[in-house]
Amino acid sequence: MSTETTKQSRTARLVSDLRQFWSEPWFAILTMVLAGAILLFIVVPVFAVLLKSFGMNENGFTLDYYQEFFSRTYYFDAIINSLSASILSTIIVVFLSVSISLYVTRSSSFVSKFYRGAALLPLVAPPFIFSLSLIILFGRNGVITNIMNHAIGVEFSIYGFWGVVISQVLGYFPIGYMLVESTMRNMSPSLEHASSDLGASQWKTLRKITLPLSQSGITKAGLLVFVMALADFSNPLIIGGGKPFLASEAYLLVVGQQNLEQAAVLGVFLIIPSLIIFIFQTYFLKDSGLETISGESGASNAPLSRKVKSTVMTINTIFVAFIILMFVMVILGAFVKIIGINNTFTLEHFKNRNGWDSLYTSVFVSFIAAILAATIGMLQGYLFARKPIPGKKVLEFLTLFGLAVPGTVMGIGYVLIFNGPPFFLTGTVLLIVLNMTFRKIGVGLEASISKMHQIDSSMEEASSDLGSGPYRTFGKIIVPLLSPAFIAGFVYTFMTAMVSISSVIFLIAPGTNLAAVYILNLAEQARVGMASAMSFILIVIVLSCMGLLKYIEKKTGVSI
Amino acid sequence: MKKLITTTVILSAMFLLAACGNSSSNGEPLQVYTHNDSEEMDAMVQDIEENTGVQLDVLRLSSGEGWSRIQAEAPEIGADMQIGMLHGFGIKAEEEGYLLPYQSEEWEDVPDKFKQEDGEWYGTSFWYNLIAVNEDIIKEKGLDVPQSWEDLLDPQYKGEIVLPDPGTSGTAFLAVSTIMQLMGEEEGWKYFEELDSNVAQYTKSGTAPAQMVAQGEYAIGVTWDQAVYDYIEQGYPITDVIPSEGVGYSLDVAWIFENTDQPEKAKKVMDYLGTKDFMELSAEYRSMVTKPGVTDDSGIEESFIDYDAQWDADNRDRIMKKWQDKFSD
Repeated sequence: MSTETTKQSRTARLVSDLRQFWSEPWFAILTMVLAGAILLFIVVPVFAVLLKSFGMNENGFTLDYYQEFFSRTYYFDAIINSLSASILSTIIVVFLSVSISLYVTRSSSFVSKFYRGAALLPLVAPPFIFSLSLIILFGRNGVITNIMNHAIGVEFSIYGFWGVVISQVLGYFPIGYMLVESTMRNMSPSLEHASSDLGASQWKTLRKITLPLSQSGITKAGLLVFVMALADFSNPLIIGGGKPFLASEAYLLVVGQQNLEQAAVLGVFLIIPSLIIFIFQTYFLKDSGLETISGESGASNAPLSRKVKSTVMTINTIFVAFIILMFVMVILGAFVKIIGINNTFTLEHFKNRNGWDSLYTSVFVSFIAAILAATIGMLQGYLFARKPIPGKKVLEFLTLFGLAVPGTVMGIGYVLIFNGPPFFLTGTVLLIVLNMTFRKIGVGLEASISKMHQIDSSMEEASSDLGSGPYRTFGKIIVPLLSPAFIAGFVYTFMTAMVSISSVIFLIAPGTNLAAVYILNLAEQARVGMASAMSFILIVIVLSCMGLLKYIEKKTGVSI
Repeated sequence: MKKLITTTVILSAMFLLAACGNSSSNGEPLQVYTHNDSEEMDAMVQDIEENTGVQLDVLRLSSGEGWSRIQAEAPEIGADMQIGMLHGFGIKAEEEGYLLPYQSEEWEDVPDKFKQEDGEWYGTSFWYNLIAVNEDIIKEKGLDVPQSWEDLLDPQYKGEIVLPDPGTSGTAFLAVSTIMQLMGEEEGWKYFEELDSNVAQYTKSGTAPAQMVAQGEYAIGVTWDQAVYDYIEQGYPITDVIPSEGVGYSLDVAWIFENTDQPEKAKKVMDYLGTKDFMELSAEYRSMVTKPGVTDDSGIEESFIDYDAQWDADNRDRIMKKWQDKFSD
């Protein structure tokens, strides 16, 4: 009896929701278009990979490819290598993030600003660029290797597992760092003050108060870095020395043998951990309740005591110096014949027409993808926050899931879906733009939703009371208010699109080659000079775009 | 209000840009696949564009990679033309019916053995395997300079040899095929199994071993002729070794895809590839070209084995499958 009534009331609510949903037909249509696009460009490709791993074709299901997967120690090694490299990279990144955040959030000196900037620098470079620098420095004939060989007579090689770990730490550090830093910055200092007032040493305060309070940010950072490191395929390719890793093996199976089925199986094993982590993060991490403590108290964090500071600073300085060294190697590599061997100055690496073409394509494609992703994210955020949309929780979940899907899997999925009828989008710029857009709209969406929750609906009500229709209200009230979220989505998508590689590498064609893919190709040919030169230009472009945005921010007062 | 205006401006800019994007992707330039190295291809593209007026868009893929892409895309292959590919793949593409026959007058004085009789593919240059050896490392570690394929099995070279991966690299497949043709298949497999224990790394591209040996990363690399000569010319401490058993050679071929929608442009480019001008440019990057009188190729031919490119075409899939089973474990 009682279940029936709840059922009835539930149906009644659904009906009234639907009626309200249709009361603003343009928004309703927009929502449906968005939902369709999310399904087509995020969900369908992932399912295509899943189905392909079972060999879906005329002959129906088969478990052959899974059998093949489990019968080879080679693939098992790939899983072990991928997982252990990602776990190690994550631990190191988290450790370093905490160390640098501790210093940066408690000091406003020039040094701390400089450290912060240097720590974020890897964001603007393709993630595999550190592999190249590491080989220049620590390869078998690297600059540092030689010194060490002569000094202590130990011969070591950076190729292999540890090379991958170090490159991943450098490449994915900024992502983890940003999350940890923002948690620590938003933390109320009063508890720390209380702890020290009660006589606890700073070490104890850090251990008992600061770290537990930042726990949710640290966990989030760790999970995100883990997912990204797991999906990393370019570093194993360059510095892995032939050791198997899941993402790079999946890529090689596709380009070397067109064995899409086997690649799909590897893709499934890539996506399972990502999915688990994503669900864990969405449903179990959010309500940790620790954020309630955060608030603006006005007081600043206690500065570090000398003892803590010296420890933290030693670690920070070594790491920041290392990052800068990596970038210096890239720049030097771009301007000399072959770094370490023939150090005469040259500009010949920059005379590279195909390289410049690919840079142009990258800027063009990333710009459009960034605008699309930011616009869609903003619209979606508004609709989800204010409109009664049936199934919006599911849609939100799916959109954010797009961020977590490993690029290799998404790329293979796009190949499976869009290469044939009815789409025939292979080799078009459009397909690359769509891929970049839909993988990243989650960022704009999250920013918009949280912004919308901060904005009271009274302004919209005022606008409609004064006679504006819903669309006019949206244009006059919501869009201006959401512009910070728009810009956040734009910046993130543009930066990541410029250096993204794992997914789009499957989608390029003559004339639509992208800079990051082209640089990876040069690295495969061991053309270190040309690869460094193109990376240098890419970094300069991304940095100047960021500079331009900062300038606009200052001019318009819109915070970025 | 200001913000609204900026947003509108950005949005309209986006639509404008998107419109431009569509019109430019309609495909004015000729789309080309190549396996040539980026540096060489860059010079070639510039030269072809200047002399024919045809704009080219190029995508470089290692030969194995390129071939599997072509197979996957067929019959709607994503390029109009291939400039630079393995001879064996030329024969396979011809058998599969991927190619557009075209009799070009510019190619008349090129010997018949370098081109397909109906004009389906044309050989521009040929190249062969070489062993690159870093003299400094050899001296430092007290190793002997290897003189033959057989020598590479010597345990003293453990961890010092770089070999390209035949799954992606044409250079590597040429070496594998050469050994198979020299020793017979059974002995050939034994050879590579033994060699595997000396190999430090399998690279994706066939040029990479030369560069790694030149930079002193490893002592010995199996690679191809011009890659080694380039570094010798630039003054790196490396020498080339032509294995005493002989080396296999391969023709580098160009062709027009059957499904091209710009056949006239492609033919114009094909004509130009056969001219003395282009062959001379090609000779700057290759030790031998097919046009008579451009390069002097008298000496080296004695070291060539009686290489059978048809064998390549017929057996590649089988050999590669077995290779993956053996060496991917």
